[in-house]
Amino acid sequence: MKRLWVVLSLLPVTLSGQANGVVYGSVRDTAGRPIAMALVRVQGKMLETRADSRGQYRLAAVPSGPQVLRAGMIGYGFVNDSVIVPPDDSLLHDFTLRLEHVELSPPFILGPIFVTAGKRQQSLEDVVASVALVTDSAIARRAANTIDEAVDRAPGVQFLNGQVNIRGSTGYVQGLGARVLLLVDGVPTNQGDRGGATWDLVPIDNVERVEVVKGAGSALYGSAALGGVINLITRAIPDDAHARVRVLGGGFAGPPHDVWKFRDYTGIEGGVDVTASWGRDPFHGAVSAGTRHSDGYRQQDQRDHWQIAGKGQYRLDPVTRLDVSGTWASDQYQVPVSWCVRGQCDDRGQAYQPFMVDTAGLGDHTRSDKGYVTAIVSREASSTLSWLGRGSWFRTDFTDYLRPKGEFAVADRVGGEIRAVARPDRKRTVTVGAEVTLSDVTSDIFGAHTEADYAAYGEGEHHLGAARLTTGARIDFLAVDGGGLTAVVSPRVGAVLPAGRGVWRASLGRGFRAPSLAERFVSTYVSGIRVVPNPTLGPEEAWTVEVGHARGFADDRARVDAAVFWTEARHLIEPSINTALVQIQFQNLARARLAGLDLSLSATSLLPHLSATLAYTFLYARELAHDTTPTRPLAFRPRHLLTLDADYALGAVSVGAALRYSSRFERVELYETDPRVAAKVVDLHAGWTRGPLAAHLLVSNALNYIYNLVPRTLEPVRKLTVAVTWTY
Amino acid sequence: MRLCVAALAALVVACNGGLGPAPAPTSCPKNFTGICGTLTIRGATPESTDVVYVVAYQTFPQSRGDLFSYTPLVPPTISLADTTYFYTLPVPNGRYEWVLAVWKKQGMLTIANADSLLREAGYYKRSDADTSRFGAGIVVVNSIGTDSIDFVVDFTNMHPVSFYFPAAAAVRE
Repeated sequence: MKRLWVVLSLLPVTLSGQANGVVYGSVRDTAGRPIAMALVRVQGKMLETRADSRGQYRLAAVPSGPQVLRAGMIGYGFVNDSVIVPPDDSLLHDFTLRLEHVELSPPFILGPIFVTAGKRQQSLEDVVASVALVTDSAIARRAANTIDEAVDRAPGVQFLNGQVNIRGSTGYVQGLGARVLLLVDGVPTNQGDRGGATWDLVPIDNVERVEVVKGAGSALYGSAALGGVINLITRAIPDDAHARVRVLGGGFAGPPHDVWKFRDYTGIEGGVDVTASWGRDPFHGAVSAGTRHSDGYRQQDQRDHWQIAGKGQYRLDPVTRLDVSGTWASDQYQVPVSWCVRGQCDDRGQAYQPFMVDTAGLGDHTRSDKGYVTAIVSREASSTLSWLGRGSWFRTDFTDYLRPKGEFAVADRVGGEIRAVARPDRKRTVTVGAEVTLSDVTSDIFGAHTEADYAAYGEGEHHLGAARLTTGARIDFLAVDGGGLTAVVSPRVGAVLPAGRGVWRASLGRGFRAPSLAERFVSTYVSGIRVVPNPTLGPEEAWTVEVGHARGFADDRARVDAAVFWTEARHLIEPSINTALVQIQFQNLARARLAGLDLSLSATSLLPHLSATLAYTFLYARELAHDTTPTRPLAFRPRHLLTLDADYALGAVSVGAALRYSSRFERVELYETDPRVAAKVVDLHAGWTRGPLAAHLLVSNALNYIYNLVPRTLEPVRKLTVAVTWTY
Repeated sequence: MRLCVAALAALVVACNGGLGPAPAPTSCPKNFTGICGTLTIRGATPESTDVVYVVAYQTFPQSRGDLFSYTPLVPPTISLADTTYFYTLPVPNGRYEWVLAVWKKQGMLTIANADSLLREAGYYKRSDADTSRFGAGIVVVNSIGTDSIDFVVDFTNMHPVSFYFPAAAAVRE
């Protein structure tokens, strides 16, 4: 009987004899200007499309009869319209969207956009965890070259030399121990060997938005989601033929003091990305290619990047879709391991030279290739059931050319998942799934090893009066090198309660991170000290509780979102130095407590043409002794993290400024006595749009504030960037 | 408009105070906790020199295995460009029995090859008349920089690990 049900559910709806129609029209703002890339979809169906550069859209094969069409665009809000689609005929229907000058996670405005927090589409007010959003317009405004440059300004997020922290989750361990899971269109892409995130895997121009889910997310995502999840969502492919070219160029400021001067020319960077797409039901496809070069802002900091990517979509029937995507990227970059201190270079009588490197490290460079392919089949089987199945393969291959000895590693991460979302009635939603991840590595420093993760998960949402209660859990079975299985259970409970113009939310969940193959099996030397493997290394784990409230003021032109959070972590994996055996080994050592406050304020149209956001995170991060007594601060965590952003838009022109403040780390590792300061970075930006052309100018670190976050690693200096985008 | 200018000025002032040039110290820096002093460098620098470290031991090592219990974990290196060098050694409060310079030959260091790659190149003595094996210069650090812990780095008179710990005496290797 079950088999028959499955077969029937796979039959195209058209076979039932229902005729289809075509819906077409335009999406415009209140001034009549077209909104390119606006999303138009048929509610309850897997039919959706994007408006082209003229704001025109076309939906084919829409089942005839009454339908609800939904049009929306981030920054514009959304509208629902009921229409009656004529059989074997077409219907003209135009949408008008109201402009909202908001970029970062204001509640209510953005509509049912979020897909990461619950592994299904949810309205922001239905999400039990704190989330932040970085839109493509915010990315464009920042004229960013890589994803991490754009995400670094999201509330509560901080990058330390490429390593991402959400509410201080990770700290800094030179690329190891990432406690944030990176997804690309929902597909996990943390590296198979080191477990870290690869930020230049996806061309930045292909990213439509980035969703950041804060707090333990292992109840749905398993390992690595200990501190949160970041999902890069790529652009949907619009109908008809389109092209997009983005050219970027810029230059770096020199050192602000002559005694730090290290070159006689101005460092530049530049790049180009080209994307072409074509779409007509049932097939849509896009290919893109790009390259960029940067001289860097310090000695030995050159970087070259090449990339190709493709994405295809085939609609098997009105409710079933196949999505295939892949990318390959290659980087060659010099490695400025750490800045020069007295005696290690031409120090010119200085205690340190932040723009120069130790002469012993001159010539160090890395080649890094990576790529992934993924296929997803998704189906809206009925108005109450949808499911998807996916498979993915992610490969990384790096070679470090270092003195006296280089290193290499080739790693794979192969994954598969099936997931179903059922809505048996209006008050209940159930998400269930199973996931398999197989990782392997071949390396001269990590050895040849494999790791398997078999998982099953489920989460249910139930309406209880005005409240929505969510309960769920995931169980992961981990096996290394074909050995015995280790089970890890990650439960989560949450609730959302609307109250007037606001929403209360609360959640309690457990997160974990299995040690990466690199942490288990690394065998190398650091500063002359041997690093030895620890095959018995176990998962680290954390419980996170959070209570938050979001509310609108002044006719929703101002918003506030505040959350208090508390995380208790155990068995944190850290490098331990054994002085008796003269060796370093990763061990499950520390307990830690991270507690604090996340506050986000946004205001739109309080003053004509002006919008502003403020995001503040207070973080109390302490290592704990064997009991619960706080001992010393956790390294590399700021107590205060503040982002201020203001934009003034008048017609096609906009100007703005942003301030990023991160308080001085209370503690760092290795070089505790080195000078360190708070980070205070001001960015200025301007934009202009006319027809298919858009130009953005960014002066990042406009005051050329010199600082470091990671010891002996200079953060970027002032940079002027101009990005011009042409869209056809 | 005035408000904007005032806000901009406040922002510029608030964003001052980043890292700036820091001339190499000639005395213990303010707010520094550790050991400072002047090294006098004698003899020609060996061609095979990789680096010269300054390290401290709270107690004089009792075996080869204790050699790596030095402080700090990542010791400072010294410049050999001049005949004198003012060093700063960041170490926590405490009593240190041995403050010395360690010469390292080029090559990947392991416990097994430590005897051929490492040399003691000089250590702190309370006076030149001190003829004890590792000096009697006890250094005490108490929340400030302990200055004038001067000694000689002599490339013509270096001692391998086996000078202090002959292979037969390696008890906890």
